[in-house]
Amino acid sequence: MKILVPVKRVPDPYAKVSVLPDGSGLDTTAIKFEINPFDEIAVEEAVRISEQREAEVVVVSIGKPECEEQLRKALAIGAHRGILVETEANLDSLGVAKILKKVFEKESPDLVIMGKQAIDDDANQAGQMLAALLDLPQMTFAAKVELLDGKARVTRETDAGQETLEAPMPCIITTDLRLNEPRYVALPGIIKARSKPIEKIPLADLGVEPECRVHTLKLRPPAPRQAGRRVESVDELIAALKEKGVLNG
Amino acid sequence: MSAMPDPTGATQGLRGGAFLFGETEDLFSPEQFDADSRLMVETAYSFCKKEVLPVLDRLDAQEDGLMESLVRKACELGFAACEAPERCGGLGLTKSLATRILEALSLNGSFSTTFGVHAGIAQSPIVLFGSDALREKYLPHLLSGEWMGAYALSEPNSGSDALSLQTKAERTADGYRLTGTKMWISNAKWAQTFIVFARTNEGVTAFVVERSFPGVTVGPEEHKMGLKGSSTARLELEGALVPEENLLYVEGEGHRVAFNALNLGRFKLAAMALGPARAALHHAAQYAKQRKQFGRPISEFGLIREKLARCAAMFYAAESMLYRTGGIVDHAFQQVDDAAPDRAEKYRRAAEECAIEASIGKVFATETLALCADEALQIHGGYGFTEEFPVARIYRDARVTRIYEGTNEINRIFVATRLTKKGVFQQLLDCEATDECHDLFLRSVRAAWETMGENLISDQQICARLSDMAMNLYAVQSAAVRATQATGPQGEFGRACAALWREQAGVALAAAAAEVFGRCGKAGEPVSLSSSGGKDVDAIATAVLESDGYPIL
Ligand SMILES: Cc1cc2nc3c(=O)[nH]c(=O)nc-3n(C[C@H](O)[C@H](O)[C@H](O)COP(=O)(O)OP(=O)(O)OC[C@H]3O[C@@H](n4cnc5c(N)ncnc54)[C@H](O)[C@@H]3O)c2cc1C
Repeated sequence: MKILVPVKRVPDPYAKVSVLPDGSGLDTTAIKFEINPFDEIAVEEAVRISEQREAEVVVVSIGKPECEEQLRKALAIGAHRGILVETEANLDSLGVAKILKKVFEKESPDLVIMGKQAIDDDANQAGQMLAALLDLPQMTFAAKVELLDGKARVTRETDAGQETLEAPMPCIITTDLRLNEPRYVALPGIIKARSKPIEKIPLADLGVEPECRVHTLKLRPPAPRQAGRRVESVDELIAALKEKGVLNG
Repeated sequence: MSAMPDPTGATQGLRGGAFLFGETEDLFSPEQFDADSRLMVETAYSFCKKEVLPVLDRLDAQEDGLMESLVRKACELGFAACEAPERCGGLGLTKSLATRILEALSLNGSFSTTFGVHAGIAQSPIVLFGSDALREKYLPHLLSGEWMGAYALSEPNSGSDALSLQTKAERTADGYRLTGTKMWISNAKWAQTFIVFARTNEGVTAFVVERSFPGVTVGPEEHKMGLKGSSTARLELEGALVPEENLLYVEGEGHRVAFNALNLGRFKLAAMALGPARAALHHAAQYAKQRKQFGRPISEFGLIREKLARCAAMFYAAESMLYRTGGIVDHAFQQVDDAAPDRAEKYRRAAEECAIEASIGKVFATETLALCADEALQIHGGYGFTEEFPVARIYRDARVTRIYEGTNEINRIFVATRLTKKGVFQQLLDCEATDECHDLFLRSVRAAWETMGENLISDQQICARLSDMAMNLYAVQSAAVRATQATGPQGEFGRACAALWREQAGVALAAAAAEVFGRCGKAGEPVSLSSSGGKDVDAIATAVLESDGYPIL
């Protein structure tokens, strides 16, 4: 079988990011970039599947040439080959889904496993949109994935408890944090990844020109947090909350 | 400009000792690691943070099996196999990269010593000097972490004067019988193999000794002031029977094995000192932001900021020296064909190439750790003196790094002695100065040489002053050149650190020079160096506070 896993290049979630003075974007000169953590979980899951049964794991990233770093990391974890769709364009979730649809059609995977959202814009849309565009079943926020004969079974954690879904393959699965804990990439894996193939496809060659309908007008850092104040008793706390108008009465 | 011949065809800058002549070409720095290498370093760093740091109390209590399982996990990820050539099952990475990985694994002293010995001096004698048969017999076990290794040179009455060792090796019909006591042996509790140095009729000789050989026992753990999670114990050899093929290199040439393992060991010890120094700076920055006195976080006070800035600047200098040395070591080792029958000779010469840089790097980095651990504790005030905060442990663990792998005194004497005996001081007499620090150093060397000649090696104070000047020169030069190569915020931070360190080192250089001149009857010689007046302190402190510690990995 073949599993397609999209990976996005995002700023290190622990990095302190700052906004460019003109508000046009983030100052990326000093930031480290990583695989989106949810996508790393997806890669890990796919690789685990491939360690248990015959499966090829294909990772795909969309963006600038630097995305190759994230693809290499995914290959070091254990994915078999990579695809980089090269573009400098700004993309929104629908744009990404349209591109992934083309990649899907080119690769015909049996399964797509992808992060439920990316920690940069937290949109949580691309997986669902991709399923809709392809008219395939989707199972989102997977906390457990099992493969049965021609079907995938996903357990997801919802507010009401655990829910188990099954869908025929091919289908789209998006990953939650609890699905697995990604491994440390072993050094021999990193070395082996150097010789795994990455196919570079200019976006134009895919025959899709997504129009970006979400425009970022301006970024601005959140207002700095006001210093707190320590209260000595519950009464004092209630009084302080009333004073601030948080509590009535 | 130097007269030293270079058989490898290296650019001047890549030869050992080149810095003394002001050569800075091809200086390597951590900024030059590629994306793959950085991924390896990050893996090591996150392994250390997630697997080692959460269990420090349990490690210090020597909980059964815990350290061994951590070492094994680290080995499974390939960390102990970084440097060994691919021919013998290693990954064949450069020594610079292996060292950066070791640095990232070294946030805690006990783990660092344990792992560092296992992946370093317990292994390198076999790689560099072992026969194919010995390599095949031992490296697979050591690289995979299935076995742990140790290095046993010191004895109760033979520490700094290592070659006075008394352990005997007698040749018998079925091998050598080793008798003697080895003292302070790191990893003794866990090791399956020991690189043991013993005396035969031919002189000091190196052997690979298995724990399971008859006549080998390990004593109880020493009670140490720090590094409690590491194992340190005696190795008792009571007529231990060692097969002939376990002799390493050449009988009577064991000192070469010992010292060349230590050359590389010292180079790496610098990285093992920078690991905990990084941890200390992290805790210091975090605490300074959060602790309030006089209505303000103490991180706003000038003296606290100065501490953070000086620590970071010295760290930057130590790091710059370390990886510059790495470039020299790598260049030397890349000339060696591992498949050649005379590889041991070639490796020996390669390991000797960096002897000076490795020694001053060890001294400088361990003193950087001393400063960082001390100031981090001071920044914590009374809380730092308690076990509730992690800095007390760092402080205790740090102390021994100035003692082992050659005390800092021994390393200082070694540098001056070697520069004298190899004729380098003499070559420096007509070397042109490249900047004012270099000028001051050259003038001091000339003063000492003109007055004492080769006899300067019998004056330990002069030796130490000249070694320290060489060390500070290497630090200032390496930091400055690295900083001008770097771009972006790392470049800015680096230039501030290099400038502040230049100023700090300038004070030390001037004091040392004044003493040399005074003792050589030239008391009037000018020694003052220009100063930037501490203008970089604030920028460095701000960067350290914003990054919760030293900002570059
Ligand atoms: C925790 C720990 C782990 C260790 N691990 C190992 C290991 O794995 N394998 C191993 O072989 N050894 C190991 N050692 C031993 C270590 O290398 C020695 O302690 C060190 O070399 C110093 O020897 P010594 O303790 O005998 O001190 P000494 O040599 O007695 O020195 C005492 C003092 O005199 C000074 N001194 C000595 N000679 C001179 C001189 N010529 N000029 C000026 N000053 C001098 C020294 O600098 C020092 O300050 C370890 C030690 C410790 C504490």
